[in-house]
Amino acid sequence: MTDAALPTAGPSGPRRAAPRRRGLSPSRRLYRAARPYLYLAPALVCFAVWIYEPLAQAFWLSFQQWNLLPTSPRTWVGWDNYRNILDLPQFWQALDNTWLYLLGLLPLAVALPLAVAIFTQDLPPRARNLYRALIFVPLIVPPVVAAAVWRWLLDPRYGVVNGWLEGLGLEPVRFLADPDWALWTITFITGWKLMGFATLILSAANASIDPSLIEAARLDGASRWRIVRDVRLPLLSPTILLLVMMVILLGAQWSFAYIHVLTEGGPLGATTNIYYLLWEFGFATLSVGWSSASAVILFLGFGVLAALIFRLKEKVSFHDD
Amino acid sequence: MTTDALAAAPAGLVRPRRAPRARAAAGWETGVGHALMVLLSLVCVFPVYWMIVTSLRPENAIFSNALWPDAASLENYAYALSAIPMGAMLVNTFVVATAVTAIQLLTGILAGYAFSRWRFPGAGALMAAVALTWLVPLQVVMIPNYLLVANLGLIDTLGALILPHVASAFAILLLAQAMRSFPREVIEAARMDGASHAHVLWQVVLPNLRGTLASLAILIFISTWNEYFWPLLLSRRPENSVVQIGLQMFVTAEGTAWGPLMAASTLASLPILAIYLVLQRQVISSFMKSGLR
Repeated sequence: MTDAALPTAGPSGPRRAAPRRRGLSPSRRLYRAARPYLYLAPALVCFAVWIYEPLAQAFWLSFQQWNLLPTSPRTWVGWDNYRNILDLPQFWQALDNTWLYLLGLLPLAVALPLAVAIFTQDLPPRARNLYRALIFVPLIVPPVVAAAVWRWLLDPRYGVVNGWLEGLGLEPVRFLADPDWALWTITFITGWKLMGFATLILSAANASIDPSLIEAARLDGASRWRIVRDVRLPLLSPTILLLVMMVILLGAQWSFAYIHVLTEGGPLGATTNIYYLLWEFGFATLSVGWSSASAVILFLGFGVLAALIFRLKEKVSFHDD
Repeated sequence: MTTDALAAAPAGLVRPRRAPRARAAAGWETGVGHALMVLLSLVCVFPVYWMIVTSLRPENAIFSNALWPDAASLENYAYALSAIPMGAMLVNTFVVATAVTAIQLLTGILAGYAFSRWRFPGAGALMAAVALTWLVPLQVVMIPNYLLVANLGLIDTLGALILPHVASAFAILLLAQAMRSFPREVIEAARMDGASHAHVLWQVVLPNLRGTLASLAILIFISTWNEYFWPLLLSRRPENSVVQIGLQMFVTAEGTAWGPLMAASTLASLPILAIYLVLQRQVISSFMKSGLR
């Protein structure tokens, strides 16, 4: 990406052009050399102050014990925070729940949209535009609004969903209070927000597949399903992996608002994922060290995961053309 | 959008050549396709519809499951507006979202121009530093950021909601990419005529990037309007906060006053839904760009 930037810096690039210009004063030359950095400064200062310095500080705080109050002392405790967290059943429960969220999100935000995108490729453009406008709505709805609305829809006594279930002769479900249901309910709401978006991305990728490839396969006598399996899916795999990566890296983060508004991590920690645990450690129990130590574990874990998926994506993208 | 043209092409090319039986099968499959899409659309839109319908129901009809309301009333809105400082919070959210949008565009334009126009030592490393910021979740840096805001004395102010969002990797990378594909000859010609870089940027490049800038502005505005986590850390009093926090307080305090709650939810999403109704194609294409890069 950065290599592409180089050719655009034509003859006006400061390093080559400046010395050749006649009679440039030293201060003028200095300004020319500094100019790119001046243009970048506002953004870089922002990232340094709000992302990179705090990241370093989080590492530092993860070795300390402190309760966030400016007056109380900070003590250096070495690896104790990490040891304590790894001994904590809640941490492992939250980690397990994080995986369950991701496992539940993948069908909703990748598999289902993929099926829909392939099934609807031949729809007329007008119908397609209407559907597109409708399935996009959940993505832009504010998360807290989504939480409030689903809370109402799923209310055990008066909610319309339980009304329908009753109409079918089924028992009402306590979607958010039953430990067996709560995590999947939150997963569903998170997936509901993403479904339409994923469908659009996959439809666009599916539509940009060269029609002559499909036609060639058809002339070779390939059935419709073989075309999907052997032509479309391989060509869609970079987009699929992109979505998988988005879900894995961001999915558990997106569910934070729903967990916080709807269940506060309960019942019995059944919906607490690792992001929610960080928040609880930091701002409910005020243990800065524990929160920072789990933040470091989380950051390193997801960093490794991101690197792996990125590798895989590069590999799959190879036979793109 | 180009995808429509592309999607239409294969169908038009291929259909006439199919054998009759294949065409019948395709018709059946199109039927299934429509059915799937109608179902998916209903799942996606019904909750929003139900929110609006509930918010308009008079108190004695709140628990009705009728899909169409018999009578409409605005009493829920009146109650929501009096129970929480909804007006002030809407104004706050608007101020924050507008400020963040303007500032992020500005820093993005400057940084994007630097990356696309000049070759300078460290460009690659700085670009990587920008791109890698999205690997750092807000939850990981929340405590140091909270401490910084507290030290600046900005807890419970709008400034604290704006400051961390002064720059975004997404805006910078998108604008750098757009500027790189801008024809170099035009810029060179302007430079030959003695135009300064500032002049080239504001008078030559930007007017041609209006579409990208508009998409980006929509995207930033919507995501700032919807932001929840950061305001949650910093807000103390509802009148100093944004509407998402107000709504969360409302859920916690009066979680089963469904009519007013749905009225407050409708108010909190109204500006976003209005933008979407007016600029629907623009909004969709902005979000698509965010996913396709």
